[in-house]
Amino acid sequence: MLEQAKQALGQSTERFLTKFASILPGIVALIFAFLVSIVLAWVLAVLVRRLLLTMRFDERLTRWGWYPATESSSMNSPTQLVSRGIALFVIVTGLLIGVAAFDAELTTLLVRTIFGYLPNIIGAVLVLLVGSIIARFIARSVLIGAVNMNFQYARLLSVGVKWLVIVLAVAMALEQLRIASGIVKLAFGILFGGIVLTLSVAIGLNSRELVTKSLERDSQKDGTDAIEDPLRHL
Amino acid sequence: MEVDSTQAETSAKGEQVEHADLVIAMLSEFDAEGIVQLSDRLRELPGPMRVLVGVKDVGAAAPELITKNSEAASRVAFVAWPTLGLDLTGPPLPTISAGYQSIFTTSLRLEARACCIVASKLENATPEWIAGFLEPLLDGEFDLVTPSYAHHKLEGLLNSSIVSPLTRSLYGRRVSNPMGPDLGVSQRLFQKILGNLGGGPNQRRNHPLASLAPVAACEKFKVCQVHLGARTHPPTDWTNISSLLVDVLGPVFLDMERNAACWQRVRGSNPVATFGEQSLGSDQVGAVDVERLVNSFQLGARDLQEIWSLVLPPASLLELRKLARLTADRFQMSDQLWVRVIYDFALAHRLRTLNRDHLLRSMTPIYLGWVASHARAIANVDGEAANDRLEHLSVTYELEKSYLVSRWRWPDRFHP
Repeated sequence: MLEQAKQALGQSTERFLTKFASILPGIVALIFAFLVSIVLAWVLAVLVRRLLLTMRFDERLTRWGWYPATESSSMNSPTQLVSRGIALFVIVTGLLIGVAAFDAELTTLLVRTIFGYLPNIIGAVLVLLVGSIIARFIARSVLIGAVNMNFQYARLLSVGVKWLVIVLAVAMALEQLRIASGIVKLAFGILFGGIVLTLSVAIGLNSRELVTKSLERDSQKDGTDAIEDPLRHL
Repeated sequence: MEVDSTQAETSAKGEQVEHADLVIAMLSEFDAEGIVQLSDRLRELPGPMRVLVGVKDVGAAAPELITKNSEAASRVAFVAWPTLGLDLTGPPLPTISAGYQSIFTTSLRLEARACCIVASKLENATPEWIAGFLEPLLDGEFDLVTPSYAHHKLEGLLNSSIVSPLTRSLYGRRVSNPMGPDLGVSQRLFQKILGNLGGGPNQRRNHPLASLAPVAACEKFKVCQVHLGARTHPPTDWTNISSLLVDVLGPVFLDMERNAACWQRVRGSNPVATFGEQSLGSDQVGAVDVERLVNSFQLGARDLQEIWSLVLPPASLLELRKLARLTADRFQMSDQLWVRVIYDFALAHRLRTLNRDHLLRSMTPIYLGWVASHARAIANVDGEAANDRLEHLSVTYELEKSYLVSRWRWPDRFHP
């Protein structure tokens, strides 16, 4: 009995050690690939960050209106985001290479799935990027135009328009990613409608002032004691 | 050269004209009586002068012109705008700019010695104005004749706050109205301008002519100005001031960029020869609603800080913030601050710090702030004292030019 137990334990230990010995190179390869990818990611991130800082990437994006000038946190600057994105990409690639050392079939399947989904991801990123550019440009146009028309709610109007476009872009991106399309449509409808309603109220409140001023001016023009504005700009 | 009886015939005749000594373009509408008066005045010009006049509609004045024509041999041909290649149906300022180019091209084709452009309304522009422009040109002494209008102290604010003192500071010529719009131009100068513009119509459209004074100053042409009477300006369209700034300052800043090598060498300024009798405009002007202007400035200071911070250095931003806290009765913008703001916006326009249309429109509240400050400062003074104040502003533009040159050459250097 004891002999049998010893034998079973010995066989089990042998099986475990054999199995472990067979996957040990894979584990070592995975750890090695992971460590190398971390080092490579760090080096690449530093290089890209330095390159972008030399190119004044953040400043340029701010000038083009893609990044707000008031954003003071350097942790979330576009340069940091790009360098971190590249680092993450390298680490994920390293992990995939490491996993391939275990089971080539599993990795192939994983890579095939990821690559099959890649066009959707690229499409969504493009939609978000273009949406963000358009949103910021339109927001700035609306802000300047509204201030020049003496709208007291100029900033609210500008922020509202910006979020309107961003919400639209996000909804389109999620649709592209095929993530919970039913919920996205519903949420988009509620958010979009909410923003439009808010903007309508803001415009309505401003319009009341504008209409009053306009009527006052018209009544002055009609009156005999109308005072003409003496300013001439040209 | 004959004056024909109908517009169609006149236009056809205009196309046949192969040579004219003078080309005169009336960009604004002229009625029949005005055309006849102009015709009479042009016949008095010395020497055997052949004159081509472009007007919008010559048909109404034709019978009168024929009568005059039968009395004395005419040397004056009136043709309609399309015959001169003019399409004046667009917005005012770009249209005038395009009009200048067409007129210069026509003048070059006809080998004219000089051309004269009158863009002011009929109630102001008289045949005497045209004679005033032509005489310095025909004497051969001058290449560019600019106008100096009589105006009351709150007229021509955009010109007197930016265009004229900036031209004086940059190019060293003290010209009252560098942008005209009424001008006299010699053959040498319009040849040079067309040569500089080069290319086809599309290329020229991208580089609208803001003012001829920079080209004349940089190419060492002789500039003079002639005192004209009052020019009636349309009332302010308050909803459109930002568009006005874009139309006026856009081409002026483009000129600055084009002529940077020239104006960086210029130091100080000199007065130009002036003809005619100066007449001051009325001192009696209505009250300005300073509070409305200050409110516009304060709204801009509150909501456009983010945009201004891309353009202005911290010291100017701080000054503007301090100004925004003042009430209308204490509101005063220093000349130095205003001049530096203009220089910084010109630099931002060159560097494309942000979209150029956004940039110029975002300047509107600051401009209205300056107008409020100026209106307060000259509220209780006569026209001469108001002119003294503008002279002080012009001197400040000259004194601060080193700031512009420094920022222009080293835009990345930190400016507190």
